[in-house]
Amino acid sequence: MKKILLCLLWVPFLFSPGLLQAQEEGARTLDALQKKYSGLKDYTVDVNVHFDVEGFKAPDMQAKLFCKPPDKMKIESKRIFFLPKEGGTFNPFMFNKEDFEVKLLERLTYEGRNVVKLKLTPKKRKLNAQDFILTVDTDRHLIREMNTSSFDGREVKALIEYGNFGDFDLPTRIELHLNVQFSESMEIRDFGPSAQPAKRVTGRVDITYSNYKVNVGLSDEIFKERDSSKLGGRP
Amino acid sequence: MRLFWLEIYKTFSRWRTYIGFGFIALVVLLTEVVMKLSAVEILNRMMRSTQKDFLIFGNVLNGWFVTAFIMNTLHIHIPFLIALVAGDIVSGEATSGTVRFLLIRPPSRVKIIAAKYVATLFYTTGLVIFLGLVCILPGLALFGSGDLIIHHFGRFGVVFIPEVEIPVRMLFAFMAAIWSMTAVASIAFLLSTLVENSIGPIIGTMAVVIVFLVIGNFPFDFFATLKPYLFTTYMVFWQRFLDDPIPWQEIVKSAAILGLHSLGLFFIAFGAYARKDIKS
Repeated sequence: MKKILLCLLWVPFLFSPGLLQAQEEGARTLDALQKKYSGLKDYTVDVNVHFDVEGFKAPDMQAKLFCKPPDKMKIESKRIFFLPKEGGTFNPFMFNKEDFEVKLLERLTYEGRNVVKLKLTPKKRKLNAQDFILTVDTDRHLIREMNTSSFDGREVKALIEYGNFGDFDLPTRIELHLNVQFSESMEIRDFGPSAQPAKRVTGRVDITYSNYKVNVGLSDEIFKERDSSKLGGRP
Repeated sequence: MRLFWLEIYKTFSRWRTYIGFGFIALVVLLTEVVMKLSAVEILNRMMRSTQKDFLIFGNVLNGWFVTAFIMNTLHIHIPFLIALVAGDIVSGEATSGTVRFLLIRPPSRVKIIAAKYVATLFYTTGLVIFLGLVCILPGLALFGSGDLIIHHFGRFGVVFIPEVEIPVRMLFAFMAAIWSMTAVASIAFLLSTLVENSIGPIIGTMAVVIVFLVIGNFPFDFFATLKPYLFTTYMVFWQRFLDDPIPWQEIVKSAAILGLHSLGLFFIAFGAYARKDIKS
């Protein structure tokens, strides 16, 4: 009996090198992604957003996006502009291996290319923390798919297509599939005229990017302008 | 026509006529100044559910948004201001002791009651137009223009109305608001023909509006079955002009129901006035 128990105790250790190796490979994949874009200092791009979301009646929206990785973004639009929070913008530096526990889920082929599926769990659990599942093209070091799911039932799937602009592969189209839990805030639910219980809202958002200008030397100053009467957002 | 202008003159000679205009000016301007001072907080509160999933850029809190917000908030209170004048327009003659003098003069009761009713509608129209002007003009001056985002409370829904379409839609919305308030004015007018003091019709009108609104909003099946029979259900049909696509069928139905209410109430008021005994 003791022998059997001893043998069983050894089992995790027998598999651990494989596990560690998988974790390392996941981290290496993220590293390679960031390395690929290390030369990307800034870019501007024209964005067109098309909504096909239940209950969201809006025409196509256009804006100019200014981005300075890792964390500066500005939208310039003459009109009101909505951009999905999850997957609406491309930021290769948002997946820092230090911020996530990376788990390699599987290796597969995606449109004839070698890809890996990684699960990223944030190390710091915040209120809106969420897990990411990335499908990364390991040949070209590109995120092809991104799935997010948060604790409150919000699920977003992003399919990303790329084009080559100034030595960088940048998105030309992001197709977002939303499946979110909508519940009105308490104060509105209490006093609202026809409050309804929480429900799931599904839909698709197509974001197309054109007219890229890469590494044009954007000044930090343009990201500081902000009018207090306007809503804004961070990437 | 002379009778109508006489009624208008009498109505606008009374100080209570200006309470409504004063109240609207005060509340709307105060609201707009407060909204300007705490713009971010208000926007975050109103758009919270949308902001969970979207980054929102641009001038959302513009003059049109503020106008729609104030209209949504005030449509419960405006009936009181209308009842204040409409409830007094006939009964006020009895209170001031001029009813006998008025009815023994050559103009028929038909003409007198019609002139009073048209004067009531004139005041109602004036008050709603004034609300529109006080909302829109300072609103645009303070907050600027832009596309209109309508967020439906209680359900996930965002309607985006391009800036070029807004003036026409707002014009229709205010016309619909005038039409809705005509029904309220007609209730107050009817009650005013039935009694000889002004307080009763004013309180009576508000009681009807509040009770109907409460019944219509109770989340019980029994009250839900009653809802289609309450005129207050159709009073907010002005909001439909800020929907996409505009539900014309629903608008026509609501307008017709409210129109029939107004007409019916006027004819009952006329019947009551025609039989009014002024000898005792």
